[in-house]
Amino acid sequence: MDPVLQQIYQLVVPSLPYVLGAYFVLWLGLMIYVAVVMSRVGKLEKQLALVEEAFSKRA
Amino acid sequence: MATSPQPAESNSWRQFKAILRKDIVMELRTFEMLTSMILYTVLTLVIYQIALSQSGSGFDVRLIAAGLLWLAFVFTSMLGLNRSLVHEKDQGCLEALLLSPVDRPVIFFAKAVGNLIFLLIVQVITMPLFFVMFLANRPLGGAWWMIPLSLLVGAIGIAGVGTLLATISVNTRGRDFILAVLFVPIMYPLLLAAVGATSAAVLGGTGYVTEFWRDLALAGGYDAIMLLAAYGLYEFVIGA
Amino acid sequence: MDRKKLTLIALATAGVLTLADLVIAFFVAAPVISNMSLDIAGVNIGGKLFANPILFSQKIFYFHVPVAITSFVVFFFTAFYGVKFLMTRDRVFDTKARIATEVTLIFTLLTMLTGDLWTRVEWNTWWVWEPRLTTYLIMLLLVIGYFVLRASVEDEEKRAVYASAFGILAFLDAPISFAITRLVPSSQHPVILRLGGGLDAWQLTAFLLGMFGMLCFGYVIYQLRYREERVRERIEVLKATLED
Repeated sequence: MDPVLQQIYQLVVPSLPYVLGAYFVLWLGLMIYVAVVMSRVGKLEKQLALVEEAFSKRA
Repeated sequence: MATSPQPAESNSWRQFKAILRKDIVMELRTFEMLTSMILYTVLTLVIYQIALSQSGSGFDVRLIAAGLLWLAFVFTSMLGLNRSLVHEKDQGCLEALLLSPVDRPVIFFAKAVGNLIFLLIVQVITMPLFFVMFLANRPLGGAWWMIPLSLLVGAIGIAGVGTLLATISVNTRGRDFILAVLFVPIMYPLLLAAVGATSAAVLGGTGYVTEFWRDLALAGGYDAIMLLAAYGLYEFVIGA
Repeated sequence: MDRKKLTLIALATAGVLTLADLVIAFFVAAPVISNMSLDIAGVNIGGKLFANPILFSQKIFYFHVPVAITSFVVFFFTAFYGVKFLMTRDRVFDTKARIATEVTLIFTLLTMLTGDLWTRVEWNTWWVWEPRLTTYLIMLLLVIGYFVLRASVEDEEKRAVYASAFGILAFLDAPISFAITRLVPSSQHPVILRLGGGLDAWQLTAFLLGMFGMLCFGYVIYQLRYREERVRERIEVLKATLED
């Protein structure tokens, strides 16, 4: 890290790690949300395949 | 070519007048909507007295007068808009209107103008009351005609967009609640500008004339854009 | 399944870009706008004069602004698909508009969260009725209103028409309230973020990374949620026909 930057951060916000952490948590939340939706889509698509199979057997 | 649109135009005008007259005649028979709106406003004024009861004599009510005035009108107009369309729906008027060969835009303008008229009547009756009750001993900072003018510009937007929103909300479960949920955020910019204009007129001070006209122009701009949108959307909403 | 691949690629891009944005913004990019006017008592650090209060909070620019812009871009699609639905009466467009509004809700909430991280530090208060904040609160209320409206109409056709109409009206309303909140209050609100000067290369890089990354995120969430809804609808239709 740039020494000037480091000095500024120490001077202005002693809680830089927390701010960074907060942003990272938000980023992680977004990723987790996407992952949850993806797994839901996967499950539904499997279900759809089953239903479609049943349907074609019927037909 | 110049004469051919003439009969169609006068036809719409006749339809417009017929719907408007029906609304007014129905109201004149019972005075239900006007009484409830005016009474509601008076009750709001009583609540203002409670809210201000501990503020002491040194408090200058003029600072918040415009806000209080508009607050009362916002609530009473939501009540009125909801009432006006609930009537239409419960008595099957809307369905009948849709079956008749009336142009859809005409329905919108007739309903909106009807609501505007009721709103203006309520304003004319309750505004002097407000001034007598809260601003009796305090001189107005600006010219008096500015206040009714700002109220009119605000009422046009409320009646126009409100008619569309009330037509939607009346077809939902929890009618009046839905109207409030849709109405307040959509009206936010108009109310802010209108309160700014009214406040400039009440308070006066240096440069209040420019401030008044600027805020009034903003409110007017909102009216123009949103009325056009509401007019365009009404046809779809009423047909659903 | 071309869409599927594109979504995955967009997801990877979104993840990498936003993470890169995070790293560059905090560790590489210069702390202030280079030629910002120093009208506040400055501090001397490393031989350079910096305006104290704006130093660190300028970092808000790299996340908050992209998220906010994305929320607005997605909100455009609510209105766009609303118009398309009203023109064609095809239920697909109603579903698309609904999903777009959902993504708008996510990004509006994110905007408020990433903004609120700073208000306490910067303005020494949790909430200010400041134009940008107010506009976003109104936008949040409009989006919530959209869903409350949907939930309270039983008839599917009516629900779609009302939601489309309200979506269009809401999208028109948001920029108006943005303009009016900035024009009406005379001088009460604090001036924040005076981005007077130009951005240097790293600052611009970080901003663009964040901007593009967030747009990708918006696209990914929209696509995934849309696919989920479509598959669910299809399963229901098939099940219904099977039961008959």
